[in-house]
Amino acid sequence: MKRIMLSIFSLLIMSNVLLAQTKQEPWNSQQLLDPAILAKKINQNQTKNMLIYCIGPDAIIKGSINIGAGENAANIKKLKEQLKNVSKDKEVVIYCGCCPFDRCPNVRPAFKALKEMGFKNAKLLNLSNNIKTNWIDKNYPMND
Amino acid sequence: MMKKIISCLFIVFFSVQLFAQEQIIQIGQIAPEIALPTPNGKMMQLSSLKGKLVLIDFWASWCAPCVKEQPELKTIYEKHAQAVKENKFEILGVSLDKSEEDWVNAIQRLDIHWLQISDLKFWRSKVATDYAIEGLPYNVIVDEAGKIIAINLHGTALENFIAKHLQ
Repeated sequence: MKRIMLSIFSLLIMSNVLLAQTKQEPWNSQQLLDPAILAKKINQNQTKNMLIYCIGPDAIIKGSINIGAGENAANIKKLKEQLKNVSKDKEVVIYCGCCPFDRCPNVRPAFKALKEMGFKNAKLLNLSNNIKTNWIDKNYPMND
Repeated sequence: MMKKIISCLFIVFFSVQLFAQEQIIQIGQIAPEIALPTPNGKMMQLSSLKGKLVLIDFWASWCAPCVKEQPELKTIYEKHAQAVKENKFEILGVSLDKSEEDWVNAIQRLDIHWLQISDLKFWRSKVATDYAIEGLPYNVIVDEAGKIIAINLHGTALENFIAKHLQ
């Protein structure tokens, strides 16, 4: 029994290591912004030094600007155009929320674009499941 | 001791599964009515399909996994073309799209021939609440009497379920 348990655990650990190695995301954990933190900032009017862009289905987050799906090259161009005169120190938050990150075609091209442009405070809103469960269902602030 | 650990692990795994699948919609209940417009603006009601096996596919053009699933639904639809002709089977695509243009373009691009309806209200659509949808893709299978007989089946499980029911 001990052997079986040990084998299961080692397999689990090995598969996690493998996954971590193969899934190199363009963002790191510090660049993931907790939705609760953003919601609090919006509610307390503390988003003046922040730009929030939707690169997914709909800009429902209060104060966010709609760019369109990040998988579309024309929308990435639009995002870059919007940001061309913005200071590289500005906090730029992008979000999608169509589906879990592993299935989302939008977040990676958009985040890469922010990195390429040299934004030091680029953030990806951590809507790890989707905009419904991670934002709407929590009654966080929305555009009307 | 080991047995206890294993039992605990199982309990944890199953309770996580249960919470993940917590839903108001249940197998055996009558499917809530859906009344939404087609791309032509004509109102369409789920209840008008009574007497047929109906696969309600909740999707959106902005949902990559849903778009990926459409060719599989097309295969099912074509495989059961005879049943469709005999009024025994139908697919009802209910979209949570927001843009009419994106919705209609996706229907054309994916060459979808089954029924399509949407109020273009994204997650604010009443169907999202009525069917307790937490994420897309999501589907419900309704039998000839309007009763829910399956929830969120995909791939071969979906294919086999429909084939078996129409046998």
